[in-house]
Amino acid sequence: MRKQLRFTGVGGQGVLLAGEILARAYVKAGKYGVQVGTYTSQVRGGPTKVDIILDDEPILYPYAVDGEIDFMLSVADKSYQLFKDGVKEGGIIVYEPNLVYPTEDDKARWKMFPIEVITIAKEQVGNVITQSVVALAIATRMNNIDKDLVYQAMIETVPPKAVEINKKAFELGYKEAEEVLAKYS
Amino acid sequence: MPREIVSTGNQLAALAAIDAGCRFFGGYPITPSSEVAHEMSKLLPKVGGVFIQMEDEIAGISVALGASMSGVKSMTNTSGPGISLKSEQIGLAFMAEVPLVITNVMRGGPSTGLPTRPQQGDILQAQAPTHGDYQSITLCAGSLEECYTETVRAFNLAERFMTPVFVLLDETLGHMVGKAVLPDKDEVEKNIVNRKVYEGDPLTYEPYNVGPDEPAVLNPFFKGYRYHITGLHHGPTGFPTEDAKMCQELIDRLFNKILAHKDEIESYEEFMLDDADMAVIAYGSVSLAVKEAIKQLREEGIKVGLFRPITLWPSPEEKIDEVCKKFDKVLVTEMNKGQYFKEIQRASGRKAETFDTLFKANGRPISPAEIKAKLKEMAAK
Repeated sequence: MRKQLRFTGVGGQGVLLAGEILARAYVKAGKYGVQVGTYTSQVRGGPTKVDIILDDEPILYPYAVDGEIDFMLSVADKSYQLFKDGVKEGGIIVYEPNLVYPTEDDKARWKMFPIEVITIAKEQVGNVITQSVVALAIATRMNNIDKDLVYQAMIETVPPKAVEINKKAFELGYKEAEEVLAKYS
Repeated sequence: MPREIVSTGNQLAALAAIDAGCRFFGGYPITPSSEVAHEMSKLLPKVGGVFIQMEDEIAGISVALGASMSGVKSMTNTSGPGISLKSEQIGLAFMAEVPLVITNVMRGGPSTGLPTRPQQGDILQAQAPTHGDYQSITLCAGSLEECYTETVRAFNLAERFMTPVFVLLDETLGHMVGKAVLPDKDEVEKNIVNRKVYEGDPLTYEPYNVGPDEPAVLNPFFKGYRYHITGLHHGPTGFPTEDAKMCQELIDRLFNKILAHKDEIESYEEFMLDDADMAVIAYGSVSLAVKEAIKQLREEGIKVGLFRPITLWPSPEEKIDEVCKKFDKVLVTEMNKGQYFKEIQRASGRKAETFDTLFKANGRPISPAEIKAKLKEMAAK
C-alpha cells in the first residue's frame, strides 16, 4: 500500500529530517521510501514542504500527488494554507494550534488533530530542535507505521550525542498522538 | 556485492567521485549542488585527498585544473550560474586537454533564476559552455543510482579522452532521499580508466603529437617531462603556434578524438519501447515521471514507451532517428523550453510540428498526471 505524507513548515524548522528517517525505516524493512523537499530561496521563513512516499513497490516519481496525500503535518500557517488542498478528502491533518489556523470548513473536510508540536519540543523535551522527531513520532502513530522500525531508524540517523534527547522526543510525540487520537476519534 | 544505500543524489555523486579515484576537489558552494561539496569535504581527507573551498567559482575550477595537470583526478561542482562563471576555464580545459569532471546540479535560470527549484535549463550550456569550437561530453543522470554510475563514468571518460566531462543532475535528483543499489566497489575499481603516460625519453616527448583521433598524452607536471600548457592554438610540444595546418588539425582533433569513439561514450535507456504505440523522449528526473505515467497508462491499455538519452552530448543521434522513424506519435518533454528538442529535430530530420511537446520552465517538476493527460490526448488523435 502506498502512503503519501507531507510535512510542511517554514524554512529553518528542520522538517527534512523526519522524512529522511521514515524513508530509511522503510528501506530497512526491505520496502521503498522516498523523500523530497521543496523550499524557497529564503534562508528562513519561506514555506517548506517535504513529501514522503512509502510503498511496498519501487517508487519512481518522488513527489506526492496533490489530492492523494494521506497525511499532512503543519507547523506554520503560511504553508498550511498553501499546501492543505493536496490532502485527500477525509485525510489526516495534524497542526500546531498555536501557529496554524484551520477554518471550520477545513475541519469538516479532513480529520484535523491539534498537537502542540513545537511546545512539546521546547518545553517537555527541552530543545526546540527536536520538533522534527516529535513530528516523526506523530506521523508514525497516525499512519500506523511500525513504531520500533522508525524508532531504530531514528536512533541510527540522528547525531550520536543527540540520541537520548531524541528518544525522549519520540516517546513524547508518540504518546501525544495516542492521546489525541483517543480524544478526537 | 552490490551496495544498498539510502542517500541523496548529491551525496551519491560525491561517493562516486571517491570510488572513481578522485583525490582533489576545488569549488564554491551553490544551491542546489552544495551537498556534493559538503560530502567531498568529509570523504576526501579520509582517502588522503584534498578539498578546497575557494573564494569563488572561477578559482574553484582553476585549482581543480591545476591539480589535474599534476596528474590527480579532479572535480569541481556547481549549478548553472557557476558554470557561467567557470566558462573561461572550461575553455582552457577543452583546449589544453585537461581532464576534469564538472557536476552541474541544475536549477532554474537564466541568471540566478530559481535557486532551490529543479529545471533542465543547462542542456545547451553543457553542449557549448564556452567560446570556440570543441566537442562536449555530457552525461545526464536519470535516477539516484545514475548519480553514482554516471559520475564514475565521467571520470573514466575524462581520463580516456583528456577532456572536461559534464555530469548533469537536477535539484530533484540532487536533493531527494531514497534507496540506491550501487555496483560492487571492487567492480568499479577494476574498471577505472587512467590517462596514458608517456614513458620514453623526456627529450623527445611531444604531448600533443598524437593521432588525428586520439587525445593528448599529458604527463603529470613535475616528473621530468617538460611541456607547455596554453589556451592558445599550439603545436606538438604545447607551445603556441599560428601555423594554419597545425591550427586546423588541433581543432579537428578536439572533435575527432571524441566523435571517432562515440561507441565508447554513447548511452541510453529504452523503457517499454518494444511493444509501444507511442514514444516519449525524456531525460533526467523528468524520466521518472514519464515511467510512472507509462506504468499507469499501460494499466489502462495505452501502450507507451520511453527513450531516454543518458549521454546527451554527443547525442545518440542514430538511435534518436530510429525512434522518431519507428513512432509517428512522439512526445518530447523537458523542464525547459525545449533545449534538447532542437537536437531531436536535427537528428531525426523531422519537423517540430510533427512532434507533441510538454515543456515547463517555472521550476516545478513535470508530474505523471500532466504527462498522462498529454499522452491520452495524443492517443485520441
